[in-house]
Amino acid sequence: MNLGTRKLFDRAFTALGFGSIAIMGMMLIIVLAPIVSKGVSAIVFRSTVEHRKMLYSEFHRGNRVSLEKEIAASDAARRPVYEMLSEFEAELGLMDEDKQQEYKAKLDQVRTAIKALLGPLPGESEPALTRFKYGQNRWEKAEEKLKELVYEKQWDYSNPDIAAKEYFVSRATAFEGTSLVRLFPYVEKNIDKMLLPEWTFYWGFITDSSVDSHIFGGIWPEIQGTFFLALGAMLFAFPLGVIAAIYFTEYAREGFITSLLRSANSTLAGVPSIVFGLFGLAFFINTLKVSESKSVLAGSLTLAIMILPTIIRAAEEAILSVPKTYREASLGLGSTKWNTIVTVILPAALPGILTGGVISLGRAAGETAPIIFTAAVSVGSAIGLADVFSSPTPALSWNIYNLASEHEAAAEIRHVQYGMVFALISIVLMLNLSAIVLRARISKKLKG
Amino acid sequence: MIMSGEELSSQGRSSAFVVSARQRKWQKISKTAGESTLLLIASFVAIIVFFIFFFVTRDAVPYFQIRGFKEFFTSTNWYPADDPPGFGALAIIYGSLMVTVGSALIAIPMGITAAICLSDVIPFSVRQYVKPVIEMLAAIPSVAFGFFALVILAPLLQNFGGTILMWTWWVIVSPFLLLAIIVASELLSAKVSDEKKRKRLHTFLSVVLGIIALGLLFFVGNKLQRIEILTGTNALNVSIILSFMALPTIVSVSEDALQAVGRDLREGSYALGATRAETIVKTILPAASSGILAAVILGIMRALGETMVVWMASGNSSHIPSPWFNYLESVRTLTATIAGDMGEADQVTGSARFHVLFAMGLLLLVISFICNFISERIIVRQRKVLSGQ
Amino acid sequence: MGLTAETIERSQNAGTAVRDIYLPPERKKISGGGVPHVSAKKFSIYYGEFEAVKKVNADILSKYVTAIIGPSGCGKSTFLRAINRMNDLIPNSHTTGALLFDGEDVYGKFTDEVLLRKKIGMVFQKPNPFPKSIFDNIAYGPRLHGIKDKKTLEGIVEKSLRKAALWDEVCDRLDKNALSLSGGQQQRLCVARTLAVEPEILLLDEPTSALDPKATAKIEDLIQELRGSYTIMIVTHNMQQASRVSDYTMFFYEGVLVEHAPTAQLFTNPKDSMTEDYITGRFS
Ligand SMILES: Nc1ncnc2c1ncn2[C@@H]1O[C@H](COP(=O)(O)OP(=O)(O)OP(=O)(O)O)[C@@H](O)[C@H]1O
Ligand SMILES: [Mg+2]
Repeated sequence: MNLGTRKLFDRAFTALGFGSIAIMGMMLIIVLAPIVSKGVSAIVFRSTVEHRKMLYSEFHRGNRVSLEKEIAASDAARRPVYEMLSEFEAELGLMDEDKQQEYKAKLDQVRTAIKALLGPLPGESEPALTRFKYGQNRWEKAEEKLKELVYEKQWDYSNPDIAAKEYFVSRATAFEGTSLVRLFPYVEKNIDKMLLPEWTFYWGFITDSSVDSHIFGGIWPEIQGTFFLALGAMLFAFPLGVIAAIYFTEYAREGFITSLLRSANSTLAGVPSIVFGLFGLAFFINTLKVSESKSVLAGSLTLAIMILPTIIRAAEEAILSVPKTYREASLGLGSTKWNTIVTVILPAALPGILTGGVISLGRAAGETAPIIFTAAVSVGSAIGLADVFSSPTPALSWNIYNLASEHEAAAEIRHVQYGMVFALISIVLMLNLSAIVLRARISKKLKG
Repeated sequence: MIMSGEELSSQGRSSAFVVSARQRKWQKISKTAGESTLLLIASFVAIIVFFIFFFVTRDAVPYFQIRGFKEFFTSTNWYPADDPPGFGALAIIYGSLMVTVGSALIAIPMGITAAICLSDVIPFSVRQYVKPVIEMLAAIPSVAFGFFALVILAPLLQNFGGTILMWTWWVIVSPFLLLAIIVASELLSAKVSDEKKRKRLHTFLSVVLGIIALGLLFFVGNKLQRIEILTGTNALNVSIILSFMALPTIVSVSEDALQAVGRDLREGSYALGATRAETIVKTILPAASSGILAAVILGIMRALGETMVVWMASGNSSHIPSPWFNYLESVRTLTATIAGDMGEADQVTGSARFHVLFAMGLLLLVISFICNFISERIIVRQRKVLSGQ
Repeated sequence: MGLTAETIERSQNAGTAVRDIYLPPERKKISGGGVPHVSAKKFSIYYGEFEAVKKVNADILSKYVTAIIGPSGCGKSTFLRAINRMNDLIPNSHTTGALLFDGEDVYGKFTDEVLLRKKIGMVFQKPNPFPKSIFDNIAYGPRLHGIKDKKTLEGIVEKSLRKAALWDEVCDRLDKNALSLSGGQQQRLCVARTLAVEPEILLLDEPTSALDPKATAKIEDLIQELRGSYTIMIVTHNMQQASRVSDYTMFFYEGVLVEHAPTAQLFTNPKDSMTEDYITGRFS
């Protein structure tokens, strides 16, 4: 090969490396961007009057006087809709049997769509489920529902080679020649007067508990559960890990036992997280019976053994990086070994140890598999500190899965899911960021 | 004025560093006791590892006692809730294998090139900013990746699958093809000794090969574009996401291995007139190969043991895709099965349905143990080789 | 060039005492000093099988300054660190023979090495202050040994810093990180830190090798200040330094104590031809 080609290869090789790194960076952005943007929209969004009604009656928040005014205004805008409906019903009674049948089904669809948009119709009995008590809380959802009201989705099966395609037809055409035709343009035109959207900063998303399994309300029980589980795991794993690291670095003599313990540590680090879940179920709950069934305690213990190897490794590294001279100086002054460790080595290694601890805390907060069988429940309110020994808790990680995959109205509450993922990622990345800052300060401190 | 040692002690000067026999004994005892306590705490990890093996095995054994080994490993009938039930886990094991291999195919080349880039190409100042990116990628919780896969990537694949595949094909393959054309035409024309003739042949070859390559690009691209992806929750989706979860491990462990090779070897190679690529490929990679192998094993382990992503985005259908390499079909993995079926099996503790999940856990545990053991041996051996022992 | 059998024989079977004290006029005699403070009797130090210090016989006289010289790797540090048992930190090192401190065996069964190190302080080649404030560095030792009272501690800190001739430079920033001091100041801080636990012996292992000439001069002055209050042993590679600061000099070669004599005598009229070769720079 001539030199030109060799150089070309060299460049291509470099480009390949840069490409890989760029893809990794892009992936990070691709994953984070939608989660952050849509996650924020769980808190900052255009809320409708229905949202304010909900807040007032479920959480007792809001100004009664102004809310009543708003309700009056929106009712005024809605009245024609309900009038048109009853007018059409009256008209229906005059039609012949066939027509009645035909329109009845379609009218029901229209009614359902209006209920989804504006809440229960006047004169109806109070719905049992909270989710049916209010119309759309969020403006962008309301716009979706409006589209469902105005257009009917149909499927095109004409081409058997490909999957059916959806298309939309206007509902108004179905009611051509009746009084109900007017309803659709009216709703389309006056929707904002009926729902009165305005920008809100719904901080309650973080601090409220959920209403009717996350259809309304916030994610506080999950956030609290995540903190309980992660901090609980830390409480067990951190002291244990640091002491084990002290043993490995300061006391262990190379030999069979030490190498066995080290292999055990790396084995534990490689155990799949779901196996920790199985172990937690089989050991902590079924054998030790730390609690009747799932509990925060069992989950914390399971998470603790999962993060133990990470903490040990980080602490070991931090302790080993403390200069040997500190040890000599302290011992030379007549300090005992243990005293030297406590007063000189641990303080010098502390930033490194804390870095490892903080990263492990983030891992414990984000991990799902170990708590599925040991601690997590899908719905529940925030538990008190006294209940951690006996009761399970909702947790961000588990509830993200649950809401996204198993909730009966998963598609309706995407914003809650995004908000949860955003909250979880914020917690974890914030912890990692503080770890990075901590680490940057280590070198500074050691340099003086 | 000079005195001997005996005179000194007879003068009764303080010998404050000598303690009584009893005190010394107590010191020794407390020291031993302290160290034993520390040892006990340090062996906690080993005890836990033993317990994990013990308890998972204890709950796995009843399954094999009830149903034997054959069905689990050879049948693809996974109907644990039916009567009579079927506990054939072959398709599930295959699903685990499939997504692991898929993610490895993506993560290994990317991870190794990125590690090389980090250790040998990028200047230190830039590296400071790249490392946090990798750390952040490692820190993102798996359930967030799973959510991304389910809610964002799956619909994308389902709706625009063909187009996405086509563009991926173009972007990835065209640079390689271009490189191949240049090198091939050069090599083929190198034999001709006459300068003028060679140049002409070179141009001719470039053009012909270029046309062929373009044809290939468009032909395959078109084929790909016409592919309909029936469901977005499939093995491809999961493989992509898992590869990004395995990447940080692969990158950081291989980078350590590359760094451990040391400057002497690099400088030796550069001094002989090798380009950077040649230095890396011919000198550094062989020296670091075992460390990189360990990195790959550790990375793959992450993909194999991952639960949430596969549970949420693999489609969870336990059958072997047809043809066997069809990544566009749904699959089901061991981890997802354990996570998903335990909820229902929970109430019937004691039945095969409960214990079969522990059998799967045991299988995962054993595989991860073996992989871990191998990678650890490799790392130890490499350290020995590099330090010249 | 090498050790002759005769030298080894003489070294390993000699008595320990340095009998003839000969001090040049500029070095004052110290009243109450000059008793054997540390005595080595056929004292050997091993790293595993390797005998790094070979059957040394010597008396280190109290309140005087003793310098240890010799080529690199001859066992100077090893010998020095053996005196306050810092070698215990090195796995599988052991000793034979006897090392007496105040007439008691340092390696005896009932020795508490922690108490021993309190009596025998050490300053290392590289300044090694803890990453704490200046005050906490000095107070570290006293606190260890049970002094909690703030006033007492302040007194000790000031006294030690004054003794180490550092007080004037740092008295207004005692709460600053010790690592922010210059190398020479750090080394004097280390001396002060050692003095704060009130040792009887000061061991200095090449205390100036990491310092510039000016800082070196300050440390040398300091040693002169402390002479007469402490028994000082200093390892140095600098022949001038040894002759400037010390009253006695020990010359080691390959673990053997070749010559141990008053400095003025050793440098002007060495008994052993090896010593002469070394101090005249014929090998190093
Ligand atoms: N930890 C150790 N393990 C094994 N051998 C050692 C150890 N420390 C020192 N040695 C050996 O003991 C001998 C004496 O070492 P020592 O450090 O005492 O020399 P030194 O005279 O202080 O040299 P320098 O002037 O370079 O400081 C050397 O041959 C050295 O290789
Ligand atoms: Mg030395």
